[in-house]
Amino acid sequence: MTAKIFRNSMAVGISVFLLSVALFMGVLYQYFGDQLTQELETEAVLVARGVETLGQEYLEGLTTSSRVTWVAADGTVLYDSVADPAEMENHADREEIQQALRGSQGTAVRDSATLSQKTFYVARRLSDGTVIRLSSAQYTVVVLLLSMAQPLLVILVITLILAAVLASRLSKGIIKPIMELDLERPEECVTYDELVPFLTRIRRQNDTIRRQMEQLRQRGQEFTALTENMSEGFVLLDQKGHILTYNSGALKLLGAIPPGEEANVLTLDRSDAFRRCVERGLSGSRGQGQLERNGRCVQILADPVLREGTVAGAVLVLVDITDREQGEKMRREFTANVSHELKTPLTAISGMAEILKDGMVKAEDVPGFAQDIYKESQRLIALVEDIIHLSRLDEGGDDLHRESTDMLALARKVAGRIEPLAKQAGVSLAVAGASFTVQGIPSVLEEMVYNLCDNAVKYNRPGGTVTVSVSPGEKEGTVEVADTGIGIPAQDQQRVFERFYRVDKSHSKEIGGTGLGLSIVKHGAALHDARVELDSILGQGTAVRLIFPQ
Amino acid sequence: MRNTFHEQLEQLNIELIKMGALCEQAISAATKALLEGDLALGRQACELEQEIDQRERDIESQCMKLLLRQQPVAGDLRRVSAALRMISDMERIGDQASDIAEIARDVEDSRLCSAVPMADMARAAIAMVTDSVDAFVQGDLELARTVLREDDEVDDLFLRVREELISLISAGENGSVCLDLLMVAKYFERIGDHAVNIAEWVEYSLTGHHKGGK
Repeated sequence: MTAKIFRNSMAVGISVFLLSVALFMGVLYQYFGDQLTQELETEAVLVARGVETLGQEYLEGLTTSSRVTWVAADGTVLYDSVADPAEMENHADREEIQQALRGSQGTAVRDSATLSQKTFYVARRLSDGTVIRLSSAQYTVVVLLLSMAQPLLVILVITLILAAVLASRLSKGIIKPIMELDLERPEECVTYDELVPFLTRIRRQNDTIRRQMEQLRQRGQEFTALTENMSEGFVLLDQKGHILTYNSGALKLLGAIPPGEEANVLTLDRSDAFRRCVERGLSGSRGQGQLERNGRCVQILADPVLREGTVAGAVLVLVDITDREQGEKMRREFTANVSHELKTPLTAISGMAEILKDGMVKAEDVPGFAQDIYKESQRLIALVEDIIHLSRLDEGGDDLHRESTDMLALARKVAGRIEPLAKQAGVSLAVAGASFTVQGIPSVLEEMVYNLCDNAVKYNRPGGTVTVSVSPGEKEGTVEVADTGIGIPAQDQQRVFERFYRVDKSHSKEIGGTGLGLSIVKHGAALHDARVELDSILGQGTAVRLIFPQ
Repeated sequence: MRNTFHEQLEQLNIELIKMGALCEQAISAATKALLEGDLALGRQACELEQEIDQRERDIESQCMKLLLRQQPVAGDLRRVSAALRMISDMERIGDQASDIAEIARDVEDSRLCSAVPMADMARAAIAMVTDSVDAFVQGDLELARTVLREDDEVDDLFLRVREELISLISAGENGSVCLDLLMVAKYFERIGDHAVNIAEWVEYSLTGHHKGGK
């Protein structure tokens, strides 16, 4: 813009200069021409008078800057102040001479052969019929200009410098307020009125941009918060397999380091399963796979990102399914265990019934068989009851009614129920402590304490003791069932709460029980937000504590 | 033109990563075949070896095309030439994995195998290959240098396996199995050496210095 203003100002300066020179020259030239003609006319009158009086004698004594020619009436040159009259041609056909012969005076202007000169002629007829002619040359404009070239050039240079300085100052002056505009804060700028609408527009657009940037930033933050706080891994790819975004969960699950800019997804993981999954996703179908990474089981899901029907990339979601896999494994084991546990008594019952049916049993042995069948079916019923119980606890026990339960009273009730068994086993049973209440499901609580006492009696020795102590506390109330029995080996202490887990597998049948007792205790405790603690020394006894929050 | 070039370079990179992954897979399969007696995995290792060979030829022709048509310079040239050298090391690793799988087929007595620290050797060798490929994938100079140090561990393990096998033979164990196991140990040691070569080429492509030279 500065350059343009400068150029224009310069052009104006130079054209004004050239025009004024041309005009000046034109006007002056005309003026000098007229002046010359007048001078010649005046001089012609004087010369004519002189010649009429003195004749050729006057002419020879005459000193003048003009050229004087004396021409006879027939056109013969009688005298010339410059050339020899004898050599000059007849002048009768000259325009000014003819005019003078016809009237008394004639004038003419002729360009010379070289065009660099213009000659003015004035002729005057004398009384004797001869003509006296005066001529004077004037240089043409071009010659005049050339002769003035030096001063003109000086003026031109001065003009150019002046024009340049002024144009530059002018253009800078115009531009300065525009250059000083602060487009970030257009409302604070003081400038030309013509620019105000422009600035208003910019201000509005600034506001819009600021708002949109803020929105974008917020969305970016939301997105980051979303992806960073999910435990699943997340990777977004373009159609060539470059990583566009990822979250830290993905890196953690794959055990990878942060990839570089535009890195290929294979830099995160190059295992076969991962590659296949990504390739499926990028080819437009859903890919699924599993990986083992750092001892964790990771599931990969690859879904294509479709844009107008073509694959524009893929989204990878990585999920840690270690717990799920373990749960699945436990469920499978449980099913296998249940089937096995159910099948054992059934096989026994079926076998004995078959022998009875075939009449292969002596009459006196029948009651014994019936007793065995009864015992096995009781075992079966107990097992099924426990499984039903457990599955109800698994479902959260929502259908069971909760009420305030006195734990000391409950312990006494359980002790009463277990007393006959204890007597049979030769174990003494005692309940001690102070009362506290638990907001819970009485039947479940009773079952829990019963199972613990049952175990304490069963895994005891003759002459041993079982002590149930109920102790309220400020924050937690404890029910402890301690025995002086055989104890649990350290390596089995964690596993006794698993379903069907038996420490001594070989004698389980003699002792009885379903292998689900402690599992029910664990689930019942979870239902009441209680903790279960187990202390046991092999050969000295076991203490199990149920700790209820108050 | 340059865009095509960069795409081809990236493609080369991806192919190398895939080839590295195949090598890792082949050694793991061969190792499992040896330690757990899984014959199916042994066959898989042999199939992988074929695939690795095929890939070597593909990558080689890809590199040649790049060199001839694009005439890379400086870092790009180093990358292509390092790739050319790396694939031959990877191919050797594949060969050795399939050799181990072949021996695993004949060694039925895995008792002797567990008597020597063969599992440790296998683990160390696999770790070296994984690290060298990782170093390439991530352009991690430090990791490449770690691989160079890890080689000493594998060499030590080889000597230990050798001594223990000698004492087993003197104790009257089956000599031919012991010799087979010595071969396997040697293969693992060689795999370690190839991993070192790969790491050195990674170092070269990153710094322009090969084996610490100028």
